[in-house]
Amino acid sequence: MEPLIIIDNVRFSYPTGENPDERTEVLKGISLTFERGELVAVLGHNGSGKSTLAKTLNAVLLPTSGTVTVAGMDTKDEEKLLDIRQHIGMVFQNPDNQIVATIVEEDVAFGLENLGVPSDEMRVRVDQALNAVGMYEYRTHAPHQLSGGQKQRVAIAGIIAMRPDCIVLDEPTAMLDPQGRREVMRTIKLLNRDYGITVILITHEMDEAAQCDRVVVIDHGEVRMDAPPEKVFSHVREMRELGLDVPQATELCDLLRQAGYDLPDDILHADQCIDALAALFSQKGIISNAGSGSN
Amino acid sequence: MPVLEAIDLTYTYSIGTPFEKTAVDHIDLQIEQGEFVGIIGHTGSGKSTLMQMMNGLLQPTSGTVKLDGKDIWEKKADRRAVRFQVGLVFQYPEYQLFEETVYKDIAFGPKNMGLDEKEIDRRVRETAEAVGLSEELLQKSPYELSGGQKRRAAIAGVMAMEPKVLILDEPTAGLDPKGRTKILTQLREYHRRTGCTVMLVSHSMEDVAKYVSRLLVLSHAKVVCYDTPSNVFARGDALAEMGLALPQITRIFHGLRARGIVVPDEVYTVKYGAEQLLSLLKGGEGTC
Amino acid sequence: MLKDITLGQFFPMDSVVHRMDARYKIVITLIFLVMLFWGQHPTALIAGFLFVAVATVCSKIPPKMLIKSIRPIVPILIITGLLNLFFFGGGTVYWEWKFLKLTQQGIQASVFMVVRICLLIAGTSLLTYTTSPIVLTDAIESLLSPLKKLKLPVHELAMMMTIALRFIPTLIEETDKIMSAQKARGADLESGGLMQRAKALVPVLIPLIVSAFRRAEELALAMECRCYHGGEGRTRLRVLKSGLRDYIALAFTLLLLAAVIVINAVVY
Repeated sequence: MEPLIIIDNVRFSYPTGENPDERTEVLKGISLTFERGELVAVLGHNGSGKSTLAKTLNAVLLPTSGTVTVAGMDTKDEEKLLDIRQHIGMVFQNPDNQIVATIVEEDVAFGLENLGVPSDEMRVRVDQALNAVGMYEYRTHAPHQLSGGQKQRVAIAGIIAMRPDCIVLDEPTAMLDPQGRREVMRTIKLLNRDYGITVILITHEMDEAAQCDRVVVIDHGEVRMDAPPEKVFSHVREMRELGLDVPQATELCDLLRQAGYDLPDDILHADQCIDALAALFSQKGIISNAGSGSN
Repeated sequence: MPVLEAIDLTYTYSIGTPFEKTAVDHIDLQIEQGEFVGIIGHTGSGKSTLMQMMNGLLQPTSGTVKLDGKDIWEKKADRRAVRFQVGLVFQYPEYQLFEETVYKDIAFGPKNMGLDEKEIDRRVRETAEAVGLSEELLQKSPYELSGGQKRRAAIAGVMAMEPKVLILDEPTAGLDPKGRTKILTQLREYHRRTGCTVMLVSHSMEDVAKYVSRLLVLSHAKVVCYDTPSNVFARGDALAEMGLALPQITRIFHGLRARGIVVPDEVYTVKYGAEQLLSLLKGGEGTC
Repeated sequence: MLKDITLGQFFPMDSVVHRMDARYKIVITLIFLVMLFWGQHPTALIAGFLFVAVATVCSKIPPKMLIKSIRPIVPILIITGLLNLFFFGGGTVYWEWKFLKLTQQGIQASVFMVVRICLLIAGTSLLTYTTSPIVLTDAIESLLSPLKKLKLPVHELAMMMTIALRFIPTLIEETDKIMSAQKARGADLESGGLMQRAKALVPVLIPLIVSAFRRAEELALAMECRCYHGGEGRTRLRVLKSGLRDYIALAFTLLLLAAVIVINAVVY
């Protein structure tokens, strides 16, 4: 089957200063494809071009050159604009600035109202969307009565009510506390797994990228790495040079490997690290029963 | 004598309404001069309310705040002077920039203190340098700066009042890892250079642990502990029970101990953790 | 504190009045207002009281809430009451001192006016208590929709109202925060004369305006991404549908109005 999103040699620049020839190039020829059902992180520091890339996916920005094709539609095709935006939903960083209505359920309905969905069907879809993000019991609340994480889940519900193929989330957790971050990450992983929605998560947080199936690292408007998280984070030094963190487990194993110890290079999570270290210790005979649970 | 002291401090919001909520509940706390304190706790644990009481922006419902041993809500006390001595940087401080130039914005606090031009100039330039803002940026409009620069300009605006105690509420919120490290190292540098007390509210233990000399853990409007990072992390289970995310490295070491491997339980930096493991591994090989 | 102010005083509940078509509720409230101010005879007030009583019972809004809605205007009530009491009317003079006169008609006018204002506030509060601001906006949009033919941007105005309602609490909270932040930098917002205070507000107003613009820009983008393209072809989650209860309520109110008009005509 054809990939859901095909980004073909996309460049994006905008004029700086008075001289029309003077332009800042944000995206320098990016080619990527996203398949249906993927859970992908686009990782990069602020100013790497990752948000700009996100905005080209639903025709908020059009590439200066190159093409973006979404479910077979070229994003330059103005007639398909609403279609494209229905297929590719977008959630932004600031939870306050994307909620339009004064009541949760009416906000979730906003996109459907714009699409002209009949009201009985709308009711069903709004309730389904609210249930999917676990906000159904808050449906009659006012947005300002909710926590940041809850607002963000309402924003996500507003998108999935439109039954998109894909959600693009642009740093959805940057303004949230740890509790809110966990809520949002749990929600998007669930939507990906149980509803098969393609998720593209734009982030600079390595622990969020580590929870995805695939990590695309962007730097200075170019794709630097595109691989599963274990592979990407094993390049500890390169990631540091790109201004990005790696999980502490990965870093610890990397330091020990540099000292000559034999440890796997695909460790991301604490449990994996504990298992690997325990195995190493038992192999070295420092502790006899430490290896249990590994292998 | 501690520089800041809270005695039986309580703050209750919306008293007498259905929304009544005690945000700070009979807290006793002594902050010694020159400490670098990290403050962690959930949203709603009372961090922000406590900080705003420390510099006299909020009047306690009951209890006392003492600055240099003097009650700041005493009748004769000058609360504005207290705010100059206990500088408070709010969350997302870049949203309060308003002057035409970065220079003028940093000068706003010192000007309110009634300092003379020359002193103001010295302070603006010194703090701008401390937060890594170049001379030419000072003459720009604050709205022309990048996100990280704006944040640092706003922090400089409070630093320029040269407070005895500098309190920052989540100064790294929303920044990328590079931006976070930059601000935290600059704060450490500021703390070393001026020797003044710094208090840093944060959600991220991983970030804060490396920099601070003491950690204050708040939960449900009360102080859970106020101790050195090693001692706090040694009680990791209690923190985890409160739902506070421990640094991954701390969790790994606690996990290793649970497997019967004798490693320290107060590890909170990767470097220290790696050293501990290496010496253990080398020792082990020696006995093999 | 600023953020304790509640706006859009919707009181979500399940009652006949809550379920009524908001358009009818607005029209009925307008009829009620006409009725209250019809003539000088107490029937208007009795009818008005009857209306509020029936509406309160049907809406299940605790009467306490209505009294609460009147509380903020007590000073206005006192002033209006006193003005009417001493400066209006004729008839039997009970008491006189310099230019102040206490007359029978004055007392009557004063009592009428105070009761009238109380009923007015109670009646209109019932509308806002039982109708969410957004539904109210929808209803206004629908009632005004004939004006679209005159090229009046009715949908756009309604959308603006909705967004304003949505962001008022956010901006109030933000004002609170900016004020605290500037106070922490030694801004003096509480003392000095009028001019000085106005000047002291600059450090609060500029960041507030900048932030409002930033929010507006981000919101516009988010709305576009959710396929917003004006009022054309738009459907609504809550369809305004009138039913038997609306007709009955309208009939009841019209009947009250008719009674008031007839009695007024007969008496005078």
